[in-house]
Amino acid sequence: MLYFRSEEHIDRWCGTWKLDRGGMMALDQGWRLAVAWFGADRRAPEWRRRTVDEVEQLFGEIGLTSPFWSLR
Amino acid sequence: MMNDAEVRAHVYDVTMRGGRPPLIAELDAPAAEIVESLRRLAAGRVLVLQRDSDEILMAAPFSAVATPFVVESGGVEYFGNCIWDALGIPAMLHRDAEIRTSCGDCGTSMTVRVENGVAKGDGLLHFAIPAREWWNDIVFT
Repeated sequence: MLYFRSEEHIDRWCGTWKLDRGGMMALDQGWRLAVAWFGADRRAPEWRRRTVDEVEQLFGEIGLTSPFWSLR
Repeated sequence: MMNDAEVRAHVYDVTMRGGRPPLIAELDAPAAEIVESLRRLAAGRVLVLQRDSDEILMAAPFSAVATPFVVESGGVEYFGNCIWDALGIPAMLHRDAEIRTSCGDCGTSMTVRVENGVAKGDGLLHFAIPAREWWNDIVFT
């Protein structure tokens, strides 16, 4: 996952690597995703990875609902 | 003998305080036991190990090796594996941070500041690989 100056730069990068445009988001949405994903303390004995259902629910709460974000 | 949860906790504690995931030799247990635990944690997608050494490569969001996503927080320098992970470092630390990176296309310097729970910057994140394929090659992802 890379950071770009603008959509134009994303499209140029995708063209260079012959890739379709993937999932794009503004910094605020990326920050909310990072807080939701990494905010828990992984030192805690009870910490565990999320299930597929839990990840899909989290993506939905952040507004990531396109097929690109599907885990199935 | 540490169980896997204790190894995970120790790895993250060392990393969060010092900036880098520890080497096997820096974990206070027999190397063979540590390697077995690290391999189980990697199989469970909690850690990513370096391909030929069993040393930690990623304890997400942290990288054990230098990357183009430098995160400074609390006087400690960290490396994120990608821009999402770079944002994940202040999210995990619950601290302000400055992320120094560059445009993935043109290499122009870019900075993100996280202050009081708000990320400030003017770039866009781009995820090239669909979510269901992330773990096909997590290093590339």
